[in-house]
Amino acid sequence: MKKAIGSLLLFVILAAGAWSQQGAEALVLECTGFLRAFFKDRFDVRVAVVSLENRSELGDLAMQKLYQMLLSRLEAEKNIRLVDLLVDVSAGSGRFNLSQAHDLDFLLDLKLVQNKSKAGLGLTVFSRLQDRIVAVKYFEQAISRGEMDLLQAKHFAFSAMGFSKLLEFESKRDLMDIQSIAGDDGQTQYYFYYPDEIIIYTARETRLEKHSQFKLKQTRPFFPVLHPEGRLLLFRSDQGLVLTAGGNFSPGAQVLTLGDGQWQEAGKVDFVPLRFLTLNQQPYLVGARYEEGRNFFKDRIYFLPFSTPAGSDGLQHRRICPAMAIDISSASGQLQAVHVIDREYAYRLYSADFEEMKPLTEKKGASLAALNGEWLAMSDHSRTSDQLFFYDIRDGGLRPVYSGKVAGEVRFIAAGNWRDSRGFWAGVRQQEDGMERLLVQFWGKGDE
Amino acid sequence: MNRKQFPILLPALLLALLASPGLRSAIKPHYGGEIVIRLNEPSSFHLNTANYSNLIFYSLIHESFFYLKKDGVITSNLFQEYRYDTAARTLFLTLRDNLSFSNGKPLTARNIQVSLKVFMTSDLFAASRLSKVVKNIRIIDGRVVIELLADQPDILSLLTAPELVVLAENEQSFSGLFFPQEWEKGQHMILRANPYYAGGRPYLDRVRVTFTDRPAPDLFLSAPGQFRDQCLEFSSGIYQNVYLCFLQPDIGQNTKIALFSLLKRFNEATGGRFRDLNSLTSDDESPIAIRIRQFSPQKTASILKTSEIKLYALSSLSSMEKDLSAFLRDTRLKIETQFIDNSEFTSFLDSAAIKYVLIDKIFQKKSPAEEKISRIVKESSFNRFNAHYLRMLSELDEARFSNSQALLTEQIARISEAVVNDGFIFPLFQKSYSLYIRTSWPALEIDYFGRPLLQKVSQAHD
Repeated sequence: MKKAIGSLLLFVILAAGAWSQQGAEALVLECTGFLRAFFKDRFDVRVAVVSLENRSELGDLAMQKLYQMLLSRLEAEKNIRLVDLLVDVSAGSGRFNLSQAHDLDFLLDLKLVQNKSKAGLGLTVFSRLQDRIVAVKYFEQAISRGEMDLLQAKHFAFSAMGFSKLLEFESKRDLMDIQSIAGDDGQTQYYFYYPDEIIIYTARETRLEKHSQFKLKQTRPFFPVLHPEGRLLLFRSDQGLVLTAGGNFSPGAQVLTLGDGQWQEAGKVDFVPLRFLTLNQQPYLVGARYEEGRNFFKDRIYFLPFSTPAGSDGLQHRRICPAMAIDISSASGQLQAVHVIDREYAYRLYSADFEEMKPLTEKKGASLAALNGEWLAMSDHSRTSDQLFFYDIRDGGLRPVYSGKVAGEVRFIAAGNWRDSRGFWAGVRQQEDGMERLLVQFWGKGDE
Repeated sequence: MNRKQFPILLPALLLALLASPGLRSAIKPHYGGEIVIRLNEPSSFHLNTANYSNLIFYSLIHESFFYLKKDGVITSNLFQEYRYDTAARTLFLTLRDNLSFSNGKPLTARNIQVSLKVFMTSDLFAASRLSKVVKNIRIIDGRVVIELLADQPDILSLLTAPELVVLAENEQSFSGLFFPQEWEKGQHMILRANPYYAGGRPYLDRVRVTFTDRPAPDLFLSAPGQFRDQCLEFSSGIYQNVYLCFLQPDIGQNTKIALFSLLKRFNEATGGRFRDLNSLTSDDESPIAIRIRQFSPQKTASILKTSEIKLYALSSLSSMEKDLSAFLRDTRLKIETQFIDNSEFTSFLDSAAIKYVLIDKIFQKKSPAEEKISRIVKESSFNRFNAHYLRMLSELDEARFSNSQALLTEQIARISEAVVNDGFIFPLFQKSYSLYIRTSWPALEIDYFGRPLLQKVSQAHD
């Protein structure tokens, strides 16, 4: 009898899981079916949702999830060229990047409402060429409380959208940055930057194996720090493989080049390079300068035409705000935007022209890193509950796609890759019983 | 939630909020800001740790070789390695690379060597203990090598004395967390964060040391058990003893007791700021009580009325200067007070004109009674120190190593008795201190010597 009850319970739990998204799925399927039929005689129509409003009992996260379910269905339609303009969802409405709206054929308006126990979805189709509303449709489905909870859950139905922790191991304390680059043998080398040395690892199966290491020479003026912070940059130039390393204990950074298998000094620069970019067909080191001995950057981004030996000829700067964290997103070697956590722990965004963009969401953080011009990872700013937030920045906005809790404090985030997965390295400090350790985690996208 | 649950849950929630130390703190600490500390005005930047206020002030601008934490752990910001070689009876100190004083000038092994030698020549008890065991101090391959006369595995604990600090070659550079930037005499002093501080620059940009009650201080010293609503209280473990010393042998016993009685009455007249002290160290730990009979006001006046007394007092007692002068003026006796700088005091000792001196000593409650009594004899017997005391101190050392508490206590009693009978030092008062910090300044710790450690103190910011 007990066995039977156990089996029944298991069945009930499984069944609840299987049916848990029935209402939402049905709503999306109905809507997709209508749009499929509406566009069936048209070819290569450019369509985007440009308005999203929520008056139902569902929360913002659930609404965003419904939106993504709809988009994934529409993307499968061969005659529809769908454009995702959603930047973020907050306070019951979606914000869209409408700068591309003039390229569209049809604009969709979605509105979620509550009709007693059912959720309703109102769809309006607007033809830009005809300059009029061409279709209005209303769908309705019951969405149970359990399904609502599931939709509200901070985890997305599409694993493709999510970042997950792919690797974790313990490192020496004071690790400040991790960068990787393909070696001459084609194997990826991982550079771990500590205040006084760099240790190079290679990947072997699911772990890192030490390849080599070299000491970094510190010179005066030297500013001892409570919290060492630093940035490492690796790139290939006409001069071969170049490494720059600088931290908050020194006013500038060392430049090293690889020759005959040895890292050799190739000058110094008066700031800490963050990116190697091409501006007006000329290679530049782009970076910022730490406030000596402290944990934040000064209010300038520096541009230095790159050559070796590195010096300071042609150094220029643009003004931003003093920053707890800075990273530069780039696409095809071109500067796209500057992402900043200011000294009040608020996220701020600067365009390629260094105009401050109005923050789309008031987001606070502590560390951040940009992965090309596509993804941004940011840590929380409160010590009690640290977490990592991942954002889609491809449309110039800040659209949350995933968040993951972190046991400890995120000390730094660096964009990179682990084997074939792109993502972010995070240095996480954990303290227990007066003992401190640093964990290195790699958060990557499962679909890449 | 029913109504009955609510009152239970609310305190529980509040408790959880209060117990969460990081609740108001951000992951990346916020650098900047100023803290206001209320201290007695120092006479100079030259190290002088004669009283608790000075002990705190000089710890802000001069870096200690080693710190002794409250839990007994010894740490250092200066040395990346310190190793004692038992076989060689040698302590090796390796400085961290690229250290600098506040003006950017290199801080080298030579500065460590010189500072150590300066400390060992001072007439402090801790210095004499160290001098007894050190044979030589050399610099070899950039390391400071301290050779000892005998095996001394606890040599490091002798180097935790708060007076052992890194001194610079000139008066414009400092090794501590902060360096002086502005001094408005009688009002305040501004200390700025030392960007080259060996342990890493502090979070604070500035410390305003105020010598008045304005602006209202964030950190201050006061008697225990006050300000519970606005401040966190740290029991410093420090007490200050005040003694009346008679430097010349020709002073009559009646004069001594009359002056002693007068000063006791001064404390009563000014609200009893100090506790009576009836022993040389502390009434709680002393094996004998020293009860000096007091004369009535009339008898005191009749004995002192014909005398012309010049009462010297150390500047570390300057907080009582105003009240004491007023009190003595009211007695209409011919007693003049003069406050002298602690650092200049030893040069006055040769003068036969100096007969009466008020001195103070600060002690850490936890330090052993035998250490305190030795300090008093060595540092406060002045020109009365003789072979008799030297022998008693040697016997005290022997008793210390005998593992017999009874023998040790007996020896402490014998020394106390001899000092009182010789009549050159009368214990007067004692004052305990607590350190208070406003609740808006979390993360303050204090060390074994009651010094606030300000390096990681930052105002709550989120």
